[in-house]
Amino acid sequence: MKMIHAQIAIGSVCLVLAFTITLQIRSVSYNRVNNPNTLRAEEIQKQLRQAQENNLKYAEQVMQLKEDLAAFKTDAAESSDYSKTLLKQLERAELLAGLTSVEGSGIIVTLRDSKAENTGNIDPNLYVVHDADVLWLMNELRDAGAEAMQLNGERIISTSEIRCAGATVSVNNNRTAAPFEIIAIGDPVNMENALLMRDGVYDTLRYYGIEITIKKASKVTVNAYKGNISFKHAIPLQAAQ
Amino acid sequence: MQIIMFPLIIIASLLIGVVAGLFIPSGLPSTLTPYIAIAILAGLDSVFGGFAATINNNFKMKIFITGFFGNALLAMLLTYIGKLLDVDIYLAAVIVFGTRFFQNFAVIRRFLLNRPSSGPTQKKS
Repeated sequence: MKMIHAQIAIGSVCLVLAFTITLQIRSVSYNRVNNPNTLRAEEIQKQLRQAQENNLKYAEQVMQLKEDLAAFKTDAAESSDYSKTLLKQLERAELLAGLTSVEGSGIIVTLRDSKAENTGNIDPNLYVVHDADVLWLMNELRDAGAEAMQLNGERIISTSEIRCAGATVSVNNNRTAAPFEIIAIGDPVNMENALLMRDGVYDTLRYYGIEITIKKASKVTVNAYKGNISFKHAIPLQAAQ
Repeated sequence: MQIIMFPLIIIASLLIGVVAGLFIPSGLPSTLTPYIAIAILAGLDSVFGGFAATINNNFKMKIFITGFFGNALLAMLLTYIGKLLDVDIYLAAVIVFGTRFFQNFAVIRRFLLNRPSSGPTQKKS
C-alpha cells in the first residue's frame, strides 16, 4: 500500500518535471532566437537602412528640381527686362540666404581632438573638441567679417545650429564628428588675427592640446545649403499702407 | 503487480507532461529561465532520490514532497542571491544535485542489474 503511494507521488512529480523541462527547452531556444535586444537592434537597423535609402532618393529629387528651376529662371530672364531685374534680386537673396555655392579668399581651420596623454586626474572632456569650441570659433570668424562659412561641408545659414549631439556635433540637423574643418570666406588676415588674439580661441584650445591649424587661402569654396528651409511660424508683416 | 505498474505510471506521466509542455501556448520569459533550469535540476534529484528510496524500501512521502519543493525553492533562492552578489552560487546546487544524481543512478542500476527474474521487492511487499 505504501508502495502505490510512492509510485503515484513519483509519477506526479515526473509529470510536473516533464512539463517544465519541455517548456524550458522550448523557452530557451525561443528566447535565444527572439532575444529582445537583438530583435530591437535588427529592427532599428532596418529602419535606418530604409531612411538612408529614402534620403538618397530625395536628394536625387532635389537635384532634379534644382536643375528644372535653373532652366525656368533662365527662360524667365530672357522674356523681359522686368524679369531680368527680378532674377538679379533673386540671386542676391539666394546669396544672402546661403543657397548658392560661393568662392573667394578665406581661411581653412581644422580642429582635431587632443592626442596628449591624460596624466593627471584631468577631466578627459577638456581634451576633445566640443560644439561650444566650434561655435566660439565660428562666432569669432563672423565677427572678423566672414561672409560665408561651412563646417565639415555644411553651410552655416541663419537657421543653422551648432549643437552637441552625443559624440558628434549637429549642424543643420546633420551630424559631423571630429576632425572639424571650417572654411570661411572673408578677409583672411582679419579672420586669422581674430583667432590668434591673445587668450583667444587658438590659445585656449592649444592649452588643452587640441590640434588647431589655420590656413589662409586666396581661393576657397563654400558649399550651398543643401537642406530645406520652411518657415512655419514666421510670417512677414504686411507693410503699413 | 505493483512493480509492473511502476514503469507504466512513470512513462504515462512523462508523456502527459511532455505533451502539455508542447501544447501550452506561451513560453517562459528569458529572465525566468535560469531559475526554472535550477528547479528542474532539483526536481530530477528528487525523482531519482525517490526511485532509489523505493528500491531500498525506505521511501517516505513527507521527505519526498518536502525535498521536491524545498530543494527547488532553495536552489532558485540561491540563484537569485548569486545574481544579487554576482557570484555563481547556483553552481553549488548544480554540483550537489549532480553528484546525488549519479549516486542515485548507481543505486537504481545495481538494483536493475542484480534483480532476479521475479524481483525481490515484490516478495517483500
